[in-house]
Amino acid sequence: MLTTVTAAAISYLLLGNGHGADDSLSTARTEPRPSETTDLPSVVSPKFAVSIRKPQGPPRVITGLKNADGTEVTIACVTCHTTRPPNHNNRTVKDLDEFHGGTVFSHGSVSCLSCHNERDYDTLRLADGSRVEFPDVMKLCAQCHGPQMKAYEHGAHGGMNGYWDLTRGPRTKNNCIDCHNPHAPQFPKMRPTFKPKDRFLEQPRTKH
Amino acid sequence: MIADDNSSPERQADTDKDWFLPVVDQPSTRRTALKTAGAALGLAAFGKAISPLWSIPENVSVDEFLQQHYKELSDNDKQKVFQRLEAEAKDAYGAEVTISDPKPIPGVRFGYAINLSKCNGNGACMEACNRENNHHRGVDQSYIRVLEMSKGSMDMEHGTTTYDHTVPQDDKFYMPVQCQQCENPPCVSACPIEATWQEDDGIVVVDYNWCIGCRYCEAACPYHARRFNWEQPEIPTDEVNPDQGYLSNRIRPQGVMEKCHFCLHRTREGRAPACLEACSTGARVFGDLNAPDSDINWVLKNKRVFVLKEELGTQPNFFYFFDS
Amino acid sequence: MSSIIAQNHTGTEPADSVRSYPRFLWWGLGEATNGGLGFYVWMFVLTAISLVGANAWANQVAEGMIVTNMTDHVSWGLYIANFTFCVGLAAGGVMMVIPAYLYDDEEMHKIVIVGEAVAVAAIVMSTLSVVVDLGRPDRFWHLIPVIGRLNWPVSMLTWDVIVLNGYLLINLHIVGYLLYMRYLGRKPNPRWYVPFVFLSIIWAISIHTVTAFLYCGLGGRSFWNTALLGPRFLASAFVSGPAFIILVMRILRITTGYSAPPGPARTLIQIIRVAMTINLVMLASEMFTLFYTGGAHGASARYLFFGSHGHYGLVPWIWTAIAFNLVGTILFFMPSALDRSTVRIAACVLCIVGIWIEKGMGLIIPGFIPSTLHEIVEYTPSLVEWKVTAGIWAFGFLLLTVLLKLIATVFSSEQSAATIIAPAD
Ligand code: SF4
Ligand code: SF4
Repeated sequence: MLTTVTAAAISYLLLGNGHGADDSLSTARTEPRPSETTDLPSVVSPKFAVSIRKPQGPPRVITGLKNADGTEVTIACVTCHTTRPPNHNNRTVKDLDEFHGGTVFSHGSVSCLSCHNERDYDTLRLADGSRVEFPDVMKLCAQCHGPQMKAYEHGAHGGMNGYWDLTRGPRTKNNCIDCHNPHAPQFPKMRPTFKPKDRFLEQPRTKH
Repeated sequence: MIADDNSSPERQADTDKDWFLPVVDQPSTRRTALKTAGAALGLAAFGKAISPLWSIPENVSVDEFLQQHYKELSDNDKQKVFQRLEAEAKDAYGAEVTISDPKPIPGVRFGYAINLSKCNGNGACMEACNRENNHHRGVDQSYIRVLEMSKGSMDMEHGTTTYDHTVPQDDKFYMPVQCQQCENPPCVSACPIEATWQEDDGIVVVDYNWCIGCRYCEAACPYHARRFNWEQPEIPTDEVNPDQGYLSNRIRPQGVMEKCHFCLHRTREGRAPACLEACSTGARVFGDLNAPDSDINWVLKNKRVFVLKEELGTQPNFFYFFDS
Repeated sequence: MSSIIAQNHTGTEPADSVRSYPRFLWWGLGEATNGGLGFYVWMFVLTAISLVGANAWANQVAEGMIVTNMTDHVSWGLYIANFTFCVGLAAGGVMMVIPAYLYDDEEMHKIVIVGEAVAVAAIVMSTLSVVVDLGRPDRFWHLIPVIGRLNWPVSMLTWDVIVLNGYLLINLHIVGYLLYMRYLGRKPNPRWYVPFVFLSIIWAISIHTVTAFLYCGLGGRSFWNTALLGPRFLASAFVSGPAFIILVMRILRITTGYSAPPGPARTLIQIIRVAMTINLVMLASEMFTLFYTGGAHGASARYLFFGSHGHYGLVPWIWTAIAFNLVGTILFFMPSALDRSTVRIAACVLCIVGIWIEKGMGLIIPGFIPSTLHEIVEYTPSLVEWKVTAGIWAFGFLLLTVLLKLIATVFSSEQSAATIIAPAD
């Protein structure tokens, strides 16, 4: 079964991020760092923190080459994109060359540069052109997905781990891109693996 | 009763005194001897017939047999009972477990809501319930059932729980059903011996050591929320969840009723229920109905929420909603 | 044989020896276990079946209810079905009392006591049916008032427990008192039994009503949740009880010569005719509402009568019941049913079997199918369930035989006993 973890992993593999959400996820679970904590305005006087998992930085792209020790060669986005002019005609995956060719893209009518910052490819951009760091990606998502963000702030989106009662313990929450691949945000299809049977009978369990 | 007047030996015997009558001092005759023999034989046969029962004293100790209702146990009694149960778990399952008895948090009333627009029917909650609550592995027991329903109908008759394909299907939505922790629980009224009751935080619990297993509550529950232990649950030692509550996930004995308890051994310590943590779509919202700013209250105020079978007057503390 | 017994007891025993009630019981047990070869064969077979049942039950207790075919979907099965029928039988057994005492029909009295005996045996059977249905019979004491924790008055099941036990005590008292007095040759003092008889009449109605409330009080089970259930139960009890008694009287007449004049049996037939008609009318109107309005409310009825979603488990049962009930009713309305005829016997058997199915497999089981989440899980009783149920019936018959034997003995010895004992009064 696919879990949030694997969903997140998929989204990052596509981006070729070697140290993305997966790492920060485990850190966040064990020792939520204050720097990663977002205080949600609606939560009343929490004694413990609500930590939201964050990607640690800009993704790195897998080149497909191997180092001498057999590890993948990954490069930062800016490695290429500082020397190439941004191409506003690139709207779908088909238009892309090289590394991005395998990316699955299905995210409404936005184009690459709606979110990726053409002035600094190691960052993202909001609709008004202001710069957003990769770890703050939720700010970017929220500008279009207001209702979801609102629900998220009130625990009605995104799930949680830890304590429902913040006076007793901390809570960890998913980041948007833990569950949604930003390039194809629809939640992935899954295969249910567990079916309670109540009790065995000789005759097969009936369906209708 | 077929009389046979022609059997002359019997007839003779008939005229004899009956040894059953203590006041009449009469020597026993062939008939009474036969009767005695018959009675003895009958008793012996009865003893043999019910011999499978002799295995019970091994499983049911005198202490367990005499154990009082949960509400009548003093703290001292409880300690003894918990120790006994821990020892039994060690014995039968080889697992070191701790049995606790968390009390309702004063002023808290639990509520649970599920976003049906998000739930995709993957069943992670069912599995988490099974693991968390020491359910019988043989039948993959769980307190939750997820119904696959047709879009455009709330009629459960067109739903199924046995779907087995990639989810979500485009024309379906998915509706997990578990104990609705009714405000007005028909299961509690049904129980003849108060083996199941509603706690102050709204959770309906069962005293597994008091229930006689009549299953009247199971017939009374309109949400198929109750489960009966048709046999002793099997759980591999390494899968036993050692963090156990007396009224919640401790390993249940055979022949008693059980049900979802909102993971009270977790939630009464402030933690989220296991099914909520496991939910991979974030469809589940849990919290304190009495706290105005709680997540659950935000949902109740801002979403169009409904309850199942509202017409029955059970007043569930379990809610469903769709994103509009 | 009855004459022999009479001779046995009156001829050689001084009356003083049985002046106390316990002694009377001892004597009764002795008498009731006397009989010919056929009697012993009958008792032997019943004992054997009871033992098979006891063994099956013991296994069920040791291994768990997993040996039954009940599930979390169909959580009550053959046991509770049988329980429902037996309660009806118990209630019906006392229905005879109504004409006997309300109309002061002297001729009925000989049948009344048989009815009370049937009631006693049926109550024991219903209690056993509940006990075998418990997952934890070792905790039965939790149900005992004061030392247990009875959820009274909220739980209908506690009402049933109380009412059934009360009914058992009342009937034991009436039967015991009447027999004891007759045995002593005294005229029973109405002060000591007439109030109880009236109480038992009310009680008979209440045990069956309460049992119906057990089901129809459950809002989540729409198939049961109908106000007509109680009246239907009563009507069918007015059929199964008298029909059973007619059969018992027939057997008694053949085997022991104990018989009543033909008048009372005719009264019973009249009762059955009316009650059965009412029962069928109510069944029909129930079916009308269920099928005409349709919807989820009728899902169980659709499954029961016609099957649904490819499941037809109960269809043969219910149509058998309906056929038996209809044919039985027609037979009851034939003039020859008023005589001691085969028609009468056939009618009784058909109606008893018909009602057993209608109130058991046709009422309890479909209440669970489809389940409250509209899943269809079918149910057929397992071998263990059949064994246990057969054992309960055998034990009931065993008890009934002993009681009837006692009644026959006392009644036939009454005349001679009276002459001897009366002066000692
Ligand atoms: S859902 Fe069922 S088990 Fe839960 S409280 Fe309501 S009636 Fe009781
Ligand atoms: S099965 Fe247990 S909890 Fe349910 S009604 Fe019977 S005794 Fe009460």
